Amino acid sequence: MSEEQTLAVEVSAIERLTPLIKHFTLAPAGGGSMPAFSGGSHIVVVMRGGARVHRNPYSLLSSPHELDAYQIGVRRMEESRGGSHFMHDQVTVGTRLEIAHPVNLFALDKIARKHVLIAGGIGITPFMAQLEDLHRGRVPYELHYCVRSPEHAAFLPRLREREGERVHVYYDSEGEAIDFDRLLSGQPLGTHVYVCGPAGMINRLTATAHAWGWPDSHIHWEQFSAPPVGDAFDVFLARSKLHVHVPPDQSLMESIEAAGVEVPYLCRGGVCGFCQTRVLELDGEIVHNDHFLSEADRSKFIMPCVSRARCKSLVLDL
Amino acid sequence: MLVTGIKSKPVYAPLRADPRGRYHLMLGLGVGEVALLRVLREMQESALEGLARTRVLLLPAPAVGDASAAEARREIERLPLQEMRAFPDVPSLLGEFKSVLVDSLMGTRLYVAGPESFIGLAMKIALEFNLNKDEIRAEELGTQARRVYCIHCRATTENVRTNIVRCLGCERWLLVRDHYSRRLAAYMGVMVDAEAPGALPPIKEVFV
Repeated sequence: MSEEQTLAVEVSAIERLTPLIKHFTLAPAGGGSMPAFSGGSHIVVVMRGGARVHRNPYSLLSSPHELDAYQIGVRRMEESRGGSHFMHDQVTVGTRLEIAHPVNLFALDKIARKHVLIAGGIGITPFMAQLEDLHRGRVPYELHYCVRSPEHAAFLPRLREREGERVHVYYDSEGEAIDFDRLLSGQPLGTHVYVCGPAGMINRLTATAHAWGWPDSHIHWEQFSAPPVGDAFDVFLARSKLHVHVPPDQSLMESIEAAGVEVPYLCRGGVCGFCQTRVLELDGEIVHNDHFLSEADRSKFIMPCVSRARCKSLVLDL
Repeated sequence: MLVTGIKSKPVYAPLRADPRGRYHLMLGLGVGEVALLRVLREMQESALEGLARTRVLLLPAPAVGDASAAEARREIERLPLQEMRAFPDVPSLLGEFKSVLVDSLMGTRLYVAGPESFIGLAMKIALEFNLNKDEIRAEELGTQARRVYCIHCRATTENVRTNIVRCLGCERWLLVRDHYSRRLAAYMGVMVDAEAPGALPPIKEVFV
């Protein structure tokens, strides 16, 4: 079992940005500076204190050039399983939290000739850090930012002031939407597109890019969604010799962690592949919710961060 | 070769049309024309509208050379392409290639057919435009003569057919390795008699 390596931080400032988004500043609890990171990185905040431990990933939105503290933006989810409500309702200035080291699964392509950034709502956060690098560089870029309505547009004054004409804002409330065909059909060779937002937006962007002949290597996306809910099921961990019950609103990974067994993870969103776990026995079916396993591997492995099972019995190599 | 199994040695495969591409740009040198005709026919038979969005830039095989190349070129000329142009030499073809790339859009696929040295020079330019392996396909046809980069004086010696060659820049005897640089579009040449000056292994013609 790997020891979970976390950093101790203290909340040094909280600001309400929009009716749904709060902005947290996390300073090193023991003083000093935070580890270096690159734009697009996320951390996992470990929230203890409630009935269960929550581990939620959040993009770092502060400048990679300023390491005295990290900044994250947390959107209050309507159907929260507890994490975003904990951050909004229980965390105050002075609260101590643990975070996992930054990991970047949404990095800018270093040799791109142009960057097109597309954000939906809270999906603006990874771009805030990337813009710090793009702003200093010479490669052309543009940001397309979709929000519900003007009051929900976090960071907009700062973006307008720094980026000027490079920021394009679209308000749902005004019936505005990005014309993906127009955006993707006329980009020069060597352009990379990055999208962070709701699943529907990512799917439409990806499908439109493919239709215009973009290869996957030029399309980058990231989405942090809560692990899907489902039926309760039971699992046996062969190496730990433990029976674990997975309730409907808790992920397999969270249930295993609650039983005291650590699963290595980076993204907790079914993308990075780090938590890939071998299925030793199965009477039933795996509900694969990840974006990582190939069709061939789906019969042998499960990604416990997002995937579940409908089964009489399941034995995992953990 | 001194060392075999070097990973940087490029691997090529017969060209196939990529139906996921929206625009197609093809470069052919000499008998490469035959491979391009095969791809264009494949596109035509699959009833893709791709031909009208396909540009072909060629350096034709010499008239006295391979008759199949000349025949292929005549057939290519009859296809309803966006454009087909022939050039008298490699620099003029690659110069035009570069200006086409400046105006090309995302969704373009590049196809290169010809000797490895020509593929390498085209790839070097494509790399500057951030085209990657998903967007480039290449088929090796014709001479295997190599471009050799002297790691001592940095001169490049062209059309090398032997395992050991005298550097055009510094006149050192170089062993031609399989170690390939995409950025330089050349194989690395390393002084072969550094330990024992004048003691050369037999020189053989190996890249024909």
